[in-house]
Amino acid sequence: MQFDKHLSHRFSRRQLMQYASLSGLGLALGSCSSESKSSPLFKPLNQQAGNVRALFEPLNQSIEELIFQAKNPAPEYPISAIEPDALLVNSFNGNPIIDPNSFKLIIDGAVANPMQLSMKDIQLLPLTSMVIRHVCVEGWAAIMQWGGVRLYDLAKLVQPKAGARYVYFESADNYYESWDIASALHPQTLLAYQKNGQDIPIENGAPLRLASPIKLGYKLSKWVIRVNFTKELVPQRRGYWEDEGYEWFAGL
Amino acid sequence: MSPKSAPAPKQAIFIKGFHFINLIALIFMTASGLQIYNANPVFGGRAGWRFPKELLLGGWLGGGRNWHFASMWVFSMTLLIYGIYIFITRRWKHRFASEKDIQALLAKNPKRKNYAWHRLAYTAIIPILLIAIVSGLCMYKPVQFAWISGLFGNWQNLRVAHFLTIPIVIIFAIAHIFLSFRVGGLKMIRSMFI
Repeated sequence: MQFDKHLSHRFSRRQLMQYASLSGLGLALGSCSSESKSSPLFKPLNQQAGNVRALFEPLNQSIEELIFQAKNPAPEYPISAIEPDALLVNSFNGNPIIDPNSFKLIIDGAVANPMQLSMKDIQLLPLTSMVIRHVCVEGWAAIMQWGGVRLYDLAKLVQPKAGARYVYFESADNYYESWDIASALHPQTLLAYQKNGQDIPIENGAPLRLASPIKLGYKLSKWVIRVNFTKELVPQRRGYWEDEGYEWFAGL
Repeated sequence: MSPKSAPAPKQAIFIKGFHFINLIALIFMTASGLQIYNANPVFGGRAGWRFPKELLLGGWLGGGRNWHFASMWVFSMTLLIYGIYIFITRRWKHRFASEKDIQALLAKNPKRKNYAWHRLAYTAIIPILLIAIVSGLCMYKPVQFAWISGLFGNWQNLRVAHFLTIPIVIIFAIAHIFLSFRVGGLKMIRSMFI
């Protein structure tokens, strides 16, 4: 009996720590988590953060969708405005190495012509270059040049079906994201293979990553291997960080 | 109450309610804002100094943002309703600091001088609260509100402007309590809450 009790106690503690890291505490704040404790005033409120989100995210999202202008481009900057050192690297699971020669981007789901495109195929499509501000959920921002193919141009090839309302982006490191189709087809939403005039480095998402001025950085998946058009979102799988508690729309 | 003492000041129930909700909303906005600040300090970036956890609302960045973007509605809507109220009731004509208060600061009447400082302080906080909202909106939706965002010059200016509203509001709160006390004592402070 004694032994059992001890075991279950240890298990629940381990579970607790798992929950803590799952809730993003460990991942988001890294080393600065356990030194001081949250105040007794705010502790019960911290536990309500999920309910607060459930209550206010629908309101915030409807306003975000209302003010979002699908055709209006975001500001672009001169090349001289580029801040090459400002882009910080966030990765949840290391850097996957992808061989660009054998790589094939899968585009499928609710489309008329599902496709697999090699990097060569993609680079034959029109190259769009833009100098835009990349904004991170953490609060920092960086003016960057990105070059690549418009998702809009890829969509023209695969022909999304009438009911397709969302796009899933699957990454080689198992990161996943979902977007509303209007934002995905925005003229400044790219699958980029260039950063600041060079091939994208591995830590920034080589060979292909999302780049767009209209969404927060956690929506801009790196190492994208599959673009999946879909009619419905999978409720418990809306995006890696969204499932941890970040807002889904994340429009800028 | 002795017959000599002045009658206790009275505040409209609506103003008491606004004042209290605004106070709570400001505390929530500040505490969740500091939680967001800690994810990437405005001063120093990832290597920068961070606020102690006791002051933070949210538990982690995502929780802080959820609280921040919920409290913003309470904060901005009460301020908007207050604005409509003082406009309709024409309180704006005599509630806020005016030239007369500036003249009183230069005059000799110490009672009137205190009152002038008090009115100046609570008038000045209103544009600060509006700057907090505008700079916040510019960071929340920098693309959709690019035309206002651009007024701040660059991203760092925007972050600094938004952050600075916190120390300014705290300094204001201290001065406001002190001046209220000098103008009307505990009686007046109580009249604003009860």
